[in-house]
Amino acid sequence: MLVPFLVLCMSFSFAQEKTISGNVTDQQGLPLPGVSIIVVGTSNGTQTDFDGNYSINASTGDVLRFSYVGQKTVERTVGASTSMNVIMEEDAQALEEVIVMGYATKSKADVTGSTVQLDSKQIEQIPVATVDQALQGKVAGLSITGDSGTPGSTTDIRIRGISSITAGNDPLYVIDGVPMNNPNISATTSGSSLSALASINSNNIESITVLKDASATAAYGARGANGVIVITTKSGKAGKTKFNFNSYYGFANDAIDGPTPLTGAEREMLFYEAVYNSFGETYGLNNVEEAGAFARANTSYGAAYQAWRDAGSPETNWADLITNKNAVLKEYNFSATGGDETSNFYASLGYFKQEATVIGSEFDRISGALNFTKDFSDKFTFSSNNTASYSNQDGLLENSAYFSSPRAVKYFMPSTDQAYNADGTINLDTSLPNPLWIAQEDIDDSKITRIITNNSLRWETPIKNLAFTTRANIDYIAYNYKRYRNPISGDGDGSNGYGWQASRNYTTYVFQNSLDYSFNLGEDHQFDVKVLQEWQKNRNYYLEADADNFSDVGLTNLNSAGNPTTANSTFTDWSVASYLGVVNYSAFNSKYVLNGTYRREGSSRFAKDNRWGNFWSIGAAWNMHKEGFMAGAEFINNLKLRASYGVTGNAAIALNSYQALLNFDSDYNGEGASYPGSFGNNDLSWETSNTLDLGIDFGLFQNRVSGSFAYYNRESKDLLLNVPLSLTTGFSSQTRNIGRMENKGFEVEVNFDIIRSEDFNLSIGGNVATNENEVLELAKDLNGEEINISTDIDRVESGHPVYAWYMPTWAGVNSDTGNEEWYINGVDGETTTNFNEAERVFQGGSALPKITSGMNIHVDVKGFFVDANGYYAGGHKVYEGWHRYTQGTDLYPTALYQGYNTLLDRWQQPGDEARFGKFEYTGRPWQRHSKFLYDGDYFRLKNLTIGYDFNSKFTDLLKIESLRVFVRGTNLLTWVKDDNLKYDPENIDLSGLSDGTNRGQTVLTTPPVKSVVLGVNLNF
Amino acid sequence: MSLMVVLAASCTTEDLDPALDQNKDANGGITDVDNLYAVIKGAYSRMTASGYYGRDLIITNEVRTDNCFSNGNSGRFTTQAGFAYSNTTGFFWDEAYAVISSANLVINTDLTGLEGDMDYGRHLQGEAYAIRALVHFDLLKQYGQIHVTGGTNPGGIPYVTSYLSNESSQEELFPPRNTVEEVRAKIFEDLDMAYDLMEDTGDTNFFSKYAAKALEARVAVYFEMWDRAVDAAEDVIDNGGYSIVPAENYVASFGSDGGSNIIFELEFNSTDNQGINGLAYIYRTTGGGSYGDVQVLDEVADIFEPTDVRGLLDGENGILGYEGDMLRNMGKYPDNQGYDNVALLRYEELILNYAEALMETGGDALTQLNKIPANRGASLYTEATKENILLERRKELMFEGFRYDDLLRTGSDIEKTSIQQNFAATIPYGDSRLAWAIPLAEMDANSNMVQNKGY
Repeated sequence: MLVPFLVLCMSFSFAQEKTISGNVTDQQGLPLPGVSIIVVGTSNGTQTDFDGNYSINASTGDVLRFSYVGQKTVERTVGASTSMNVIMEEDAQALEEVIVMGYATKSKADVTGSTVQLDSKQIEQIPVATVDQALQGKVAGLSITGDSGTPGSTTDIRIRGISSITAGNDPLYVIDGVPMNNPNISATTSGSSLSALASINSNNIESITVLKDASATAAYGARGANGVIVITTKSGKAGKTKFNFNSYYGFANDAIDGPTPLTGAEREMLFYEAVYNSFGETYGLNNVEEAGAFARANTSYGAAYQAWRDAGSPETNWADLITNKNAVLKEYNFSATGGDETSNFYASLGYFKQEATVIGSEFDRISGALNFTKDFSDKFTFSSNNTASYSNQDGLLENSAYFSSPRAVKYFMPSTDQAYNADGTINLDTSLPNPLWIAQEDIDDSKITRIITNNSLRWETPIKNLAFTTRANIDYIAYNYKRYRNPISGDGDGSNGYGWQASRNYTTYVFQNSLDYSFNLGEDHQFDVKVLQEWQKNRNYYLEADADNFSDVGLTNLNSAGNPTTANSTFTDWSVASYLGVVNYSAFNSKYVLNGTYRREGSSRFAKDNRWGNFWSIGAAWNMHKEGFMAGAEFINNLKLRASYGVTGNAAIALNSYQALLNFDSDYNGEGASYPGSFGNNDLSWETSNTLDLGIDFGLFQNRVSGSFAYYNRESKDLLLNVPLSLTTGFSSQTRNIGRMENKGFEVEVNFDIIRSEDFNLSIGGNVATNENEVLELAKDLNGEEINISTDIDRVESGHPVYAWYMPTWAGVNSDTGNEEWYINGVDGETTTNFNEAERVFQGGSALPKITSGMNIHVDVKGFFVDANGYYAGGHKVYEGWHRYTQGTDLYPTALYQGYNTLLDRWQQPGDEARFGKFEYTGRPWQRHSKFLYDGDYFRLKNLTIGYDFNSKFTDLLKIESLRVFVRGTNLLTWVKDDNLKYDPENIDLSGLSDGTNRGQTVLTTPPVKSVVLGVNLNF
Repeated sequence: MSLMVVLAASCTTEDLDPALDQNKDANGGITDVDNLYAVIKGAYSRMTASGYYGRDLIITNEVRTDNCFSNGNSGRFTTQAGFAYSNTTGFFWDEAYAVISSANLVINTDLTGLEGDMDYGRHLQGEAYAIRALVHFDLLKQYGQIHVTGGTNPGGIPYVTSYLSNESSQEELFPPRNTVEEVRAKIFEDLDMAYDLMEDTGDTNFFSKYAAKALEARVAVYFEMWDRAVDAAEDVIDNGGYSIVPAENYVASFGSDGGSNIIFELEFNSTDNQGINGLAYIYRTTGGGSYGDVQVLDEVADIFEPTDVRGLLDGENGILGYEGDMLRNMGKYPDNQGYDNVALLRYEELILNYAEALMETGGDALTQLNKIPANRGASLYTEATKENILLERRKELMFEGFRYDDLLRTGSDIEKTSIQQNFAATIPYGDSRLAWAIPLAEMDANSNMVQNKGY
């Protein structure tokens, strides 16, 4: 630092410094705001204001460098004049959008596959805990459903359908060029999930690119089959240090209310009806009133109603009580960026907090980032990207219908139970544990500290255009979980309190070495070559203990527990070694583009002889608009035909699956025990997907109309399939490479810039994607019979979509008898009241949408702007979970738990046409059938933002660069096609639990929220 | 920088070997007799599963009788109690064969290749034979077709005698059903092996010599092989050293482990139990916190004399009791957290098996039968009829999962005796619902499997 300082002093002494001012415009004469101006060789820099004006101190002889995205950089030497106006020229090459592909960056013209890139403006200040939720509706063919709306929870992201039946379907994340794992880090399956992605502050993200086809994803070989999400964090920008402060504050509520529970009075009436229908004849009860009197006198459930009547029939709205109305959402983010000739930095500090819409749950995160780049010399550039965050998720019990889950209480606790005692204290004598007490006393806390440090050194070798880069990335996640159940009431009252704590160290190392080389064969043939070597290793240490019998109320650590019940620790690891080669050939200024990728990858998940897989792709693009014969068609700015084909892989199976193992996590008689744990398969290797992608990209009328059209066909084969074994083996399945599945469909994206002017802009855009999924082949047993995979509602069978709905078909309620009936053959004709007699048949479709669509509109007028985008998904069906209890026509909703008011549409007397059969004094078994299978189609207004950018007069006055205020509404409107689907259409567990439970079903977790926030974004 | 390059350059196929810190390779993982001991404990541990003896097998055999019903408090066991199960209603098929797999791993291990005490190794293999016999017997009773079709095709269940792995043949991996005859013969073969190989260890948490013999008596009674039952029972009575627990200790005996009347029981304790998925949690609500679905039929209180320790006994001191107006099993599996051992072979049951076999063979059954009521504060019988023996079995073994088998093996209907029962009308002997469906997962995976009648 000393030398430039001295030089600067000398120039102060000898040169005559003056203020240069001027105006920067483009070739059309429109002012260019935000042009970066720097005095070459110094750290002295500025930017043009909103009207393109600037002023800077410089001396005669200094060189001013003007740079702006999409324009050719201009350098001017300061002369005698103090005024310097600059007209910048479009840089044809730079104007073309740059696509970040993870390992490489390409100009859009050179891209041969299907990619969608979102820039920071589309990501920042969206009020969600995990950034993946910002993608919905913006990427054709990408669908998201949330297992839970509890902030920080994991989501199910599917890109172009489902490629694997029993192996993982989650896309791969790549952050700053490094494959990164973002698993559910939570130790509990009953409590809230926690996505490692929740530790990433979306404000630090410069762009997200979604790679969908083989030519883009083959570079990630092995793990590219489910698509790749490439995240690039913000890097420093040279020039004067600039600051950004942004913040929002707002409120959230459940996006839709969900089913309405019966009132106590309705519940009572239905109970009496059940008594009347079941015992009316036997006991000579003439009507429902008499049945009520009889029941109150002779049954324990009736006696409970009598007690309720004696108390004056007080109603309790549990739905209200468990809801945290207007849950607070807020974020503060402060960042700075700057730099000089040889170094630059980006630094940020952020705080995010979101309360859940259910009582007793919230999420907050504090995060910091420092990205720093320094040129050590002409030849060596060092770059270091670092983020650290600490997140705290105060979760809840939610992934089933746990008695202590407040979300289960909403639908399961009788309205006749009282929340409070007469003296105002919490009533602990409720059918299910009182959620007010549980929220106050019990603990489900997850804490996660994540540090990612990505360091690279780039060396421009003496060989021209040959660069060597070496990179080391460490991703360190420390996770702590604490569960406590109070000894007074709830899950801990049987054992005088219960505590469980878990700790996990989840560390992933990545080392990369790569060579980049560019060369020309003549002026018109440009080659870019990359070879890369990568080593990735994950280590997962886990430690947990639980205990009960706490010595005192209010002491919640295991220290105070008298009876330790479990101590457990494990260590697992996995590693991936890869070699990658990429060649990009671009001829005649990218008129013709040809690229090839080859990756050889070895994974620790496979047997020694089958560890390595070869993955490759080829892609080609023809930028027709660059052809001479198109020169006449001036309205065409961009017309590209592209095609790619390649082989990608999937290795997302449980660790050590290939090994036949003895497990030792068992005990008997106070001693350790062992048992055969896994069947093993020494032939286990990669699952592969062959993907064909064809597309046309176009831009017409100065790109006022732009878009693309694509077709894809992905055939996955050698599926990593958990093939069911005869249970007589003692095992349920063996993971094998067998079976084939296909996903194909069309994707259309189009954008119209209807009005483009200085003061008024209007654009409309949208995308539509279709997906057709079909299982082509499965394993066969020794008789040649296909081995299917079934639950009581879905089935995997060739010729059908994966996990196609498969169950008896409901034939309605018999209007004479009031009995529910089903078709014996599953389709039509004769009906039966014996559920087990009804044939199970395919109901058409699965839980995966066949059509997804995103729509967006943008308007701005003199600084005011409106942005809206919506999302539609359709062609799929979802199944209502828990209907046995909440939609039964028996004692479950009327005497034991609670039902929905949909039950009021029930059969009462002969001739009634009703959706629900007659109520009876019984408890029916689980009978899952098509009555509770609903169309899943919905539309949701994901985002509506109205804002104002203050004009330069105001910002000049405040001596700031820009100021924006906005109001943003999320999920404000939802339309659901099927009236019977009362739950949130996105609150579906698409992947289900490991045994298939919940798959494709509505769940009792926290639903998605609708929120309104007021935000500000200040640059200075 | 050079360090990074070295690290990255050195990755080979061997570097990709995964850690194996919690497991051992199954092939070559058993090198010592002590390893076999660990595996046999794993087999017992699997038997303690909630889906098997930890709860479901016992409860399912109570709620389908005139002893208990499900009030549906948590939605559990109404399906079983209503005979409304289908091929997707989970039961212990998978758990049972997993136990068999563990047992077969022990049996198939060649002792000569192991380190350690060979005599002990043979004893452990004897335990494995006994376990294999017991589990196949349980499977046969629930999934076999004896009481539906008379046991003809389809009849029995696959009797698996080898440890199946990824090196097994296709024929072994897709087994068809054995006939009832075959299963019965193999059970006796295994029990004979068990008896021959085992020592009389006196450790009631594991199978031992006379436990195998006591089980043989039970199996023989089930198949009405009365002479064999008499012989087996007498061997246990003469040589086992067991005794009937007296009336004053009866209730307490269920709250403590071991005891002179215990021949074999599964061990549960404060660190190894089924907790909320255990027997206690389903039999009682314990002040409202537990599931408490399985309630006792009101009429059951009347079959006991007031002085009988197995009945109400002043309303609070016997096995029976009340929670509110709900009649409950208060005395068996008393610990709410599931810390109590679960007895599989009690001496009292052996005596009743003996009495029944003597009655059928013309021996002095009455003396044996009356040993039980004499130690329960109940009146003695004047005659050892089948009816009296079954009544005494019902009283003595109530809530322990015997009633359903007793009804079926004697060709009885499942009578609708109470409005509380979950089924609407008497289930006649021979009804297809008396046997469980072979699970859909098995049918999906194994086309050699034949589904039971009616499913």
